[in-house]
Amino acid sequence: MTALSKSLHPEEKIKAGKLGSSLSKAGMAIAVVFLGISIVLTLFGSADTNSGHASKWARFLHAYVIGWAYIFSISLGALWLVMLHHLTRSRWSTVVRRVAEAMSSAFPIIFVAGLAFIIPLLAGYKDLYYWNHPDAHDPVLNHHLHHKLGWLSPGFFAVRYVIYGVIFTGMASYFAKTSRKQDESGDPKLSEKMRIVSAPAMIVFALATTMVAFDILMSVAPKWYSTIYGVNFWGSACVGGFAALALLVLGIQRTGRLTHSINADHYHDMGKWMFAFTFFWAYTAFSQFMLQWYGNMPEETHWYKYRLFGEWQWVSIAMLVGFWAFPFVFLLSRWTKRIVPSLVFFAVWQLVFHWLDLYWNVMPSYDWLEVTSGGATMNAGPLMGNVAYHHVGFSPVDITVWIGLVGLLLVGIGRNLKGNLIPIKDPTLGLSLSHETM
Amino acid sequence: MAHDEHHDESTPSAVNGDGELYGILAEYDTPGALIAAARKVRDAGYTEFDCYSPFPVHGIDEAMGIKRTILPLLIFGGGCAGALGGILLQWWTNAYNWQWNISGKPTWSIPANVPIAFETTILLSVFTAFFGMWILNKLPQVWHPYFRVERFARVSDDAFLLGIEAKDERFELTATTKLLKDAGALEVESCFLETDPARKNMPKWITALIVSSTAFALIPFAIAAKARNSHSAEPHMHIFPDMDFQPKFKADTASDLFPDGRANRGTIAGTVARGHLNADDLFYRGLENGQWTQGFPRQLITKDSSDSEVTQLVNRGQNRFNIYCAPCHGYDGRGDGAISKRVAQTGGTWLARNLVEAPNEKGDGGVAVKMPNGQLFNTISNGFQTMMGYAAQIPHADRWAIVLYIRAMQRASNASYEDVPPHQLEGMPAVPPTMAPPPPPASAPAGSGAPPPAPAPAGSGAPQ
Repeated sequence: MTALSKSLHPEEKIKAGKLGSSLSKAGMAIAVVFLGISIVLTLFGSADTNSGHASKWARFLHAYVIGWAYIFSISLGALWLVMLHHLTRSRWSTVVRRVAEAMSSAFPIIFVAGLAFIIPLLAGYKDLYYWNHPDAHDPVLNHHLHHKLGWLSPGFFAVRYVIYGVIFTGMASYFAKTSRKQDESGDPKLSEKMRIVSAPAMIVFALATTMVAFDILMSVAPKWYSTIYGVNFWGSACVGGFAALALLVLGIQRTGRLTHSINADHYHDMGKWMFAFTFFWAYTAFSQFMLQWYGNMPEETHWYKYRLFGEWQWVSIAMLVGFWAFPFVFLLSRWTKRIVPSLVFFAVWQLVFHWLDLYWNVMPSYDWLEVTSGGATMNAGPLMGNVAYHHVGFSPVDITVWIGLVGLLLVGIGRNLKGNLIPIKDPTLGLSLSHETM
Repeated sequence: MAHDEHHDESTPSAVNGDGELYGILAEYDTPGALIAAARKVRDAGYTEFDCYSPFPVHGIDEAMGIKRTILPLLIFGGGCAGALGGILLQWWTNAYNWQWNISGKPTWSIPANVPIAFETTILLSVFTAFFGMWILNKLPQVWHPYFRVERFARVSDDAFLLGIEAKDERFELTATTKLLKDAGALEVESCFLETDPARKNMPKWITALIVSSTAFALIPFAIAAKARNSHSAEPHMHIFPDMDFQPKFKADTASDLFPDGRANRGTIAGTVARGHLNADDLFYRGLENGQWTQGFPRQLITKDSSDSEVTQLVNRGQNRFNIYCAPCHGYDGRGDGAISKRVAQTGGTWLARNLVEAPNEKGDGGVAVKMPNGQLFNTISNGFQTMMGYAAQIPHADRWAIVLYIRAMQRASNASYEDVPPHQLEGMPAVPPTMAPPPPPASAPAGSGAPPPAPAPAGSGAPQ
């Protein structure tokens, strides 16, 4: 290195051009095809009455919640990087920040996509969230649940959903728009302004992320308790976010853009973050597990019982090995993060396991049990009955819905990949271009 | 010396020192120039050289041809050792060497061991990183020959220096100086070692001081050694007599100040400590006119007490009983509590007194049933045979609550048909007019001796 600060390579292609619109089109095609397949499969399928669901859309909607949480979490991870960048005045990430901003700008589409399960809830659909089932109100069958139903009511739930949408869309668009404004004016005060905003925004981000995790994911098992749940979800989300960012940046470089600006040192740092959150996810997942395992109280352990015994135990073991042990050991090395094919392998690997993590969180609660209470047959909801009753019960819809929603995410990202792909007038750009990872 | 005489363009300016040449030091203007120079020196095949700068210069490692450090591998090894060590430690202590039954939990269970193993992994990784860095950098290094070069002092300020050491195989003063100058050096200086100062003779007074202070420092050890190996009738030497002999009495010692020759002063006759009068014989001792009372302290419950007051006291008694009494007497008072079960697990037999067993037709047994309330209270307070007294742990009112609860259990265990409330009789099978009390459990006879004739003779609760 001969200078502490570099300037953009004169032949660097920094304009997005048609990249965004072709990504959008590809994403839309994927979304239409795979969501279409999912709808057809569901329409011509039959209701899974063995799982205690009267409606045949139950599986589709469970898979949809998982897929929604997946695309939401990837944008969430990107938004977190953008905010952390400003908060800490990072330098390495300036060159990839515009791509992260585009990823986090997908929130409007994500929150519109989520209406697909919010509207049925408001219409009284009872086979997705058990708290929306009439039997959840039975004070004998669900003594400890019916105290929670003030919070878990469809109207209030929808109101909160809108609030989350406003919070995340607002924060993402503030940082993306201010950053683009700097491209024109080059005003260094804008960086300062974003830094000041990012501190309170980080607090709002943490609270809102926790609440989203509680509401959308944890409430599929409404009788369970875990306060660290949101932190664990955020850890998993950042694994997915950094993996997706690395892949997206690489894809952009493949089109001949940003080829001089982003090098192995930047990939190394994205890989480091992915590695750090891989461990953070395991740390929080174990923290959640260990306290409940040690406390051994039925209202907590039932959630783990169906995941650690029976068919789901193999998924749990796969999570332990696949989402933590294997990538952890290999990502320790500097070279697995710097050599592009290796980083791509682990990014794809972690993106798949990030989905499996959400699947493992939601799908074991899909099996509901009918019980006889007070002479009447009632639906007791998820996580009741025998371990043998809970099946992995894999359905092709689980995958097709997921891929379809990823298509929607690509639409959301593509729409925002426009103009400069790099913040050309950011005061830290030179330092970022000359960034070296020791 | 040779270096002092010829001083032209091809040789560096000299630095004080009368020993042999240590190396030459070149100053460069910018970090970039330093990197370029380092690259040239490396390409020329030098290995014994180093760069000095006020801050870490990125890319200098590569320019100097420094291999990547093996520290990460060492840390990985340290971390693995920490993980394995943490697991082994817990296995050895908990599961192998000293198995301890805690609430029936398994002595060996992986999840419980993860946090400790995690911490030991971090600990050894960090230790390896910290100490490994010091060792690999040959730190701490308190002195370096370049310290005598004046411009070297600026290396923590604004100087970018490159030094090649004379021990390098390719080092040749003229050629090496030229190389550094060609690489853009502002100035090149050579650095000579001083003659080793340790070779000079030390002043005699320093030697004397060291010898005498060493000898002086040995005196305390000599005294201690003498004291350990000899006997003496001499009294102690008192350095602080007023601390060693304080004008006060220690408890339970003799004193000639008082006529009875004791330092302790007992309670003065006719005085009672505040709040310790305990005049109420019935409440505090269970006595009424010198006999064990059959009644119950009026301040707790009377005949006029409401049902809820009585229930409250019984519940309190149950709560205390389950804490203090149940470990031996069992939750139902039959004498087979957790201790008894534990003894049975280890192959022995031991039972506490059966508190609820009724006397038989001849009136034998049923000791606790026949006891007056006052005696039950006294037994709880002061113990009986191997049972210790609980006066120190259980307040008086709680002891009475336990008495009440024992009475409730005795009543419940020996209930008759007539005791069942009429509204609950419906649906019960026809029962003979008098129900015999339930036979005591078959294992009731206690102890190691011959089975006693009565199911639970007095003292059957005693072990041995």
